[in-house]
This record gives sequence, C-alpha cells and structure tokens, in this order.
Amino acid sequence: MPSPAVELDSLTKVYRAGLGGRRVTALSAVDLKVERGEVFGLLGPNGAGKTTAVKVLLGLTFPTAGAARLLGIPSTDRESRRRVGYLPEGHRFPGYLTARQTLSVFGRMSGVGPADLKRRIPVLLERLRIAEWADVRVKRFSKGMTQRLGLASALVHEPKVLLLDEPTDGVDPVGRREIRDLLREEAAKGTTVLLNSHLLSEIELTCDRVAVLRKGTVAAEGRIADLTRTSPRYRLCLAATPVEPALLESFRSTGALVDSVNGHFELTVRDVTHLNALVDRVRAAGGEIEELSPLRSSLEDVFVELVKSPGEREEKPS
Amino acid sequence: MRALAANLEEVFREAAARWTLVAWFALSTLFVGIFAAAVNLDIVDGALAGVKLFGKTVDIAGRKVDVDRLVLGFESGFSAILYLVGTFLAVFATAHLVPRLQEKGTIDLYLSRPVGRVPLLLSRFLSGLLLAAANVFYLIVSIWLIVGWKTSVWDPRLLSGGGIILFAITTLLAFAFLVGVVTSSTAVSIMVTYGLFFLSSILAAHEKIEAALSSKWSAGLVRALYWILPKTAQLGQAVVTLVSDGHSFRRAPALDPFAVYGTTALFALVSLALASWLFSRKDF
Repeated sequence: MPSPAVELDSLTKVYRAGLGGRRVTALSAVDLKVERGEVFGLLGPNGAGKTTAVKVLLGLTFPTAGAARLLGIPSTDRESRRRVGYLPEGHRFPGYLTARQTLSVFGRMSGVGPADLKRRIPVLLERLRIAEWADVRVKRFSKGMTQRLGLASALVHEPKVLLLDEPTDGVDPVGRREIRDLLREEAAKGTTVLLNSHLLSEIELTCDRVAVLRKGTVAAEGRIADLTRTSPRYRLCLAATPVEPALLESFRSTGALVDSVNGHFELTVRDVTHLNALVDRVRAAGGEIEELSPLRSSLEDVFVELVKSPGEREEKPS
Repeated sequence: MRALAANLEEVFREAAARWTLVAWFALSTLFVGIFAAAVNLDIVDGALAGVKLFGKTVDIAGRKVDVDRLVLGFESGFSAILYLVGTFLAVFATAHLVPRLQEKGTIDLYLSRPVGRVPLLLSRFLSGLLLAAANVFYLIVSIWLIVGWKTSVWDPRLLSGGGIILFAITTLLAFAFLVGVVTSSTAVSIMVTYGLFFLSSILAAHEKIEAALSSKWSAGLVRALYWILPKTAQLGQAVVTLVSDGHSFRRAPALDPFAVYGTTALFALVSLALASWLFSRKDF
C-alpha cells in the first residue's frame, strides 16, 4: 500500500516570541493523513496552525517534535518537495519577470528540463487563461492574474501533491469556478490537493474530506457529508396549524429541543427512535404531518460550532 | 545545476530591471567616456607625440619622468579610487539580495522547490559577486585599454589590482549576507558593512591605538579586533603598491601577506559559513 500523500505524525511546533521570550505552541501533537488522490481541506480560524502545518510540510519551518512526510519522504529531506506544487498566500513573484520567465525560472528550480518547459509553459498559460499576458512583466498583473500565475507555477513540474493556500483569493466568480474545475481535473489525474482556505463554501464545493484545526489541535476530521450530519435535527411541518402548546410541551418532556421557525418546527432529537416517538405523539394528538426531513448543517455551522470555546457550545438534547 | 542556473538568471534579470545597477553601469560608462575624451585632448596628444619622438621620458615640472612610471602612477591612483568606490558601490548594489529573498511571500516560492537552503544562499552570493566583478572589470579593462592604446604601455598590473579589489568585495559581501540573514534588512546590511569597512581601516593603526590606551584589557580588545576583522586599509594599500611597483608588499614591508590576505579570507569564510548555517536553520 503506498504511503499517504501528506502525513503529520504527532507534529508539534513551538515558537519562541523574541529573544528568550514566551513559548507559543502553534501545533500540538497533530496527527493527520491525506491519502493519494484526495482533495482535502484544512480549516481553522486565524492562528489555528494551518499555515504552520503547511510550512513544516514544505521545510520552511522545522518541527519541535514529531514528523511531517510528503509522499512518504520526511519534510526535512528536500527531495520531498520534488513532486510538490505550492501556492502560498500573499505570494510575491519577482515583478521584473514575465509570466513565461517566471514559469521557466521556477520550473528549472524544480528540476524540469528545457524541452519539457518549452512544451508545458504554453499549455499551462492557456489552461490558466493568461496566455495573452505571457510576455508581460508580472508587476503589471492584477491580483487575479497573479493568482492564476501562482497556480501555473505550482503545476509547472507536474506535481503529485498540490498545497494551495487561498487559491481563489482575488479571483472573480467565473475564475473561481475555473480554478475549482482545474483542481477537480488534477484530482481526477491522481494528484492530491490540500486546500487551505477561509472560504468554507469553496471548500464545501471542492473537497472530499476536511480537518478543522483549533488552537494547534485537530478539532474534527472527516468527510464533509459526515461532519455536516453530526447534529440529528429535523424539519417538521404540520398540516393543521396552530399547534396545541400541549403537544410541544410533550415533545420537550422527552428531552427534545423544539424551535418554531417560520411556521414549521425544527426538532433536535437523540436518534431516529426518539424521532419516531415524537411522530407517534403527533398522530396520537390527531395531527397530520405534511413534511419531515433531516436538516443538514452547513460546513460553516459546523466550523463555527467547532472553533467556539467549550463554554460557548450549543446546548445538546439530554 | 539547473536550479543554480535558474537562480543566477533570476538575479541577473533583476539586476537588469533595477535602477541601481543600471545607474552603476551608466556611471561607469560615463566615467570611461570622459576619460577617453580627456586622453584625446591636444595637450595629451602633444605630450605623447613628444614622447614618441624623443624617447620614453616626459618633462614634468623640470623633471624627466619615465613614461612607464607615469602611466603606472596614473593607474595606481585610479585603482585606489576604484578600490574605495568599487567596494562601496558593490555592497550598495547587492546587499538587498538576501533581505529581499527572505521576504514573506517570496522565500516560500524558493524553499518550496527541491533546492537546498545553502546552495540557494550561495548561488545568490555568487550572483552578487559576478555582478560586482562584471562592473569592476568593465571599468578596469576599459581604462587599461584606453591607456594602452594611447601610450603603448600594456602592463597587466592594473588588471591584477582588480583581483585584490574583488577579494575585498567578496569579503564585504560575505559579511553583508551574514547581516542580511540575521536582520532581513537591506539598510542595516549596508550600514553595518560600511561601518565594518571604516572600523577595520581605523584598526590598521592598532599599534598606535594600543599604545595610547591605559587599560591592558582595552588594548587587548583592539588587538583582537585587528586580527579578527578584515584588513580593508591594507588591501587598498596593496592594490596601489601592486599597480605602481608590481609587488603588493614591497613598498610596505610591515604588511605580512598572511596577516592581510589570510585573516581577511578567514573572516570572509567564517561570515559566509555563519550566514549559511543561520539560513539553513531559520524558521520562515
């Protein structure tokens, strides 16, 4: 079985703030695996440790304890970066280079030969829709164009793993969709994509699995469908309104949480058995059910709930 | 090798795009142009015609001076100016190479490639050195050709003097890189390197300074600094004596080649090694 594309093994990173200053723990014993070919989202509020994790993976920062591996090679070995494409947030390509020169310089730094570069650069420029600007200096590029060039630079050596920090930052909605499609195409070819973004809707549309970091630890990890289904909530519409307050009280007496929202009810229950018991009570009271459907949380709901401190967490049914 | 070549190309493209380096070469060209025009003045042509007619001496203020000595005297004066101006301009024009590399959003682009940190830093150092060498030798070779063409004196000492100037630039650039790695500031790198140049020039008179100090500890510190720091004043002296006399230490027997070249080379090596070590361990 091949080694995971990205692997963090009890990774800890402690920074020292200033000379002899206090210690700041950016990552605390983080374990994470991203399998080959996955599109994986790394989420977390500012200061959660997302960028530090990526920097350790790329050898930009050294781990205090634990290990990080790319395609099975320790991140401290520069060979681990041969098949990795990286798009940093707020990247600054040399403004005096043209797009073509940028791809040539950074392609050669990744070990790509002149013949391959000659073939790949025009294809990439076309694919990222900046072919018309190929021979224009980067300092004249808009933010969106620079972002597209960054993606082209991350792809120029045909990497097996893509680490992307806010890849759609500054890109218009059409461009965002094109970038999402491009990432999907890369994933279909077997490239692993690790996406680091604050745009949860982008992550929801692009990723197979996500991990949420909070204060240097993994607060949650899993498939988006599973994470957004964690709360057993249902939407209940009854045909006969108004509903007897006694019925709602009887719901509450079972431990269910009941919220009245725009003429329907949102029920938070323990499990399906609990839900069926409530349905029985509706029928027993002579009520008619017009609609009963599971309510999914958005990734944003899950994210906000996860990054809250324990005291701020939402009440759960007893 | 591909990564190294790419890095060199990038530095040279930056050099071509930056005004400081363009201005550096433009000023050099202007200087060469003015010099070429000056040696074509009638008075110079007349003096040189006289030399060709009446033998290899010229009459200066009633004294007969050998034209070879006159040319070498001019060239040694020129080399002294070039030593001072060349080293200062070289540091000014290349000290940004490390601080700019270490900027957030830039360093990530380089270190995320399969390039070692030490080769990356050393390739930048080499690029800076090549740029400085290109400018120094552009000036030296141009002046040497003009002087040779006008006087038929083709002594290679001026070209050899360029080697010592480049050695001094190498040392100062190594130190500027060390300061750049530590502070990530171009301005601080330039100021501290110029400070080192002046401090080590003052320390050339370390024996007089030590004698003037009452405390043994202070005198010991001055002596230690003299031996640790590069010998910038002595290198300048070596350039002048090499061009005028053909031997860099003949006129100054007090100058021990090891003390001047050896300790300066050691300082450069330690600076570069320390810069590489710190750069390879730095968290970005």
